[in-house]
Amino acid sequence: MIELLAQTGLNALYAASYTALVAVGLVLIFGVMGVINFAHGELFMLGAYAIVAVYADWNLPYLVAVAVGMTFVGIVGLGMERAFFRPLRDNPLGGLVASIGFLMILQALVSMGFGVRMEHVPPVTQDVIVITEKVRLPVFRLAVILAAVVLLASLWAFLKKTRFGWALRASAQDPEAAALQGISINQTARIAMFIGAALAGVAGALTAPLISVNPHMGHSVIVTAFIVIIVGGIGSLEGAVIVAVAYAFVHTFVTTFFDGVIADIVGLLLLLAVLIVKPTGLFGSADRA
Amino acid sequence: MLLELRAVAVAYGKVSAVRDISLEVPDGRIVTIIGSNGAGKTTTLRAISGLTRVREGEIHFAGERIDNLAPDRIVARGIAHVPEGRRIFPDLTVEENLRTGAFLRREREAVQRDLEAVYDRFPLLLERRTQLAKTMSGGEQQMLAIGRALMTRPKLLLMDEPSMGLAPKIVEEIARIIGEINAQGVPVILVEQNAELALELADYAYVLETGSLALEGPADELHDNEHVRAAYLGI
Repeated sequence: MIELLAQTGLNALYAASYTALVAVGLVLIFGVMGVINFAHGELFMLGAYAIVAVYADWNLPYLVAVAVGMTFVGIVGLGMERAFFRPLRDNPLGGLVASIGFLMILQALVSMGFGVRMEHVPPVTQDVIVITEKVRLPVFRLAVILAAVVLLASLWAFLKKTRFGWALRASAQDPEAAALQGISINQTARIAMFIGAALAGVAGALTAPLISVNPHMGHSVIVTAFIVIIVGGIGSLEGAVIVAVAYAFVHTFVTTFFDGVIADIVGLLLLLAVLIVKPTGLFGSADRA
Repeated sequence: MLLELRAVAVAYGKVSAVRDISLEVPDGRIVTIIGSNGAGKTTTLRAISGLTRVREGEIHFAGERIDNLAPDRIVARGIAHVPEGRRIFPDLTVEENLRTGAFLRREREAVQRDLEAVYDRFPLLLERRTQLAKTMSGGEQQMLAIGRALMTRPKLLLMDEPSMGLAPKIVEEIARIIGEINAQGVPVILVEQNAELALELADYAYVLETGSLALEGPADELHDNEHVRAAYLGI
């Protein structure tokens, strides 16, 4: 029993790592730009397809493919900012609708380019760390977890220690007051969009060898990310990370001991319960809700 | 003339907020705009700092036209705006708030000197430097907002209702600080509902009524003006 719990805990940690990357990017974009990016799951999907193209089809090294995926998706994010989030800045609902349209375009483009079949990405490494007979941690999963920790720590350092990090936080708290300090709204929006999209892209790139890659794979990720950011309190980056970990544990344990559908239901019930007890989310403040 | 507004009009949608505003700020002076709630004082300041679009007219600052530049470009030219309600960044520390004011400045040593000068002026902020700004009282937040504006190295300081919601003793303190800043060579546009305070501090005053200028003149003359006394000084 203890071994099953330990194994499930390791699985949960892996699920938490990529969920946190996606959710934090979504929160960053919402915080700075005030817009909900519905296409965020498709950015995750694009990151996974970057692996299909660069690693599986062109046979380039996996790490190169991850770097290409992260950068490419970040640039797609910049394009989204310029093409519709900026012109629709005074119209958050318009931005949301535009991102839903863009989500469909991305799915269609990927379907045209790669087909709708699931893509198989060859494993990067088959090595497994055997902790006990029944508790095993594949080295690749460990690498994904470590990569997520490093990326989140770098983001944290960027936000706390650098000039542009301050600017981003100031913009998220009061865009107008930030503009009065000389912080350009266009610039902070570009930075937030690049980082947010790149994090979704890298999450997709990191998980691609372990999951089935298809044009609609963004859907389940975005639902999870929404639950996480609403429970965490929209606008709170720390909340998003903490709740991503907590949610992944609950979801993975319920999936293991019952099944996946029940786990989804439990997740949504938790969301409802939090909204009833604390509508601003666990770590949110009233002025952002 | 340091700042000049020529027949400026601003509208929110189809609703006109201010029209035909012409005013001048000479270097080194304190100019005040007084008027009742909704007269267009805040709108005028927002037009100067680029937060609100100017629909008609021109704004010139230090010889260059600045109307409808982006707010960050206007800050770069030397206009700092302490907004109504202070608008400090609640979840940044006091020092982080002050440093955002220096966002556009690259000279590290000069920024450090200015930071120390702000702490000298407001010793309270030094005590609280690692505290989150939202945990401070209204008066302290106003000092932080002024300190943050000073960190931009302004050539002109816009202040919107600095006395709002503060205890009389703190208002006196803020008034003293505004006088001090001006005495060190920074011209100020002061927007106030507290006309008594504003006319006492300012050299020159404009009176705004329902979106247009009703009266202007040297502050001490307006202080003795019958209409101003009846409408704004409650005498």
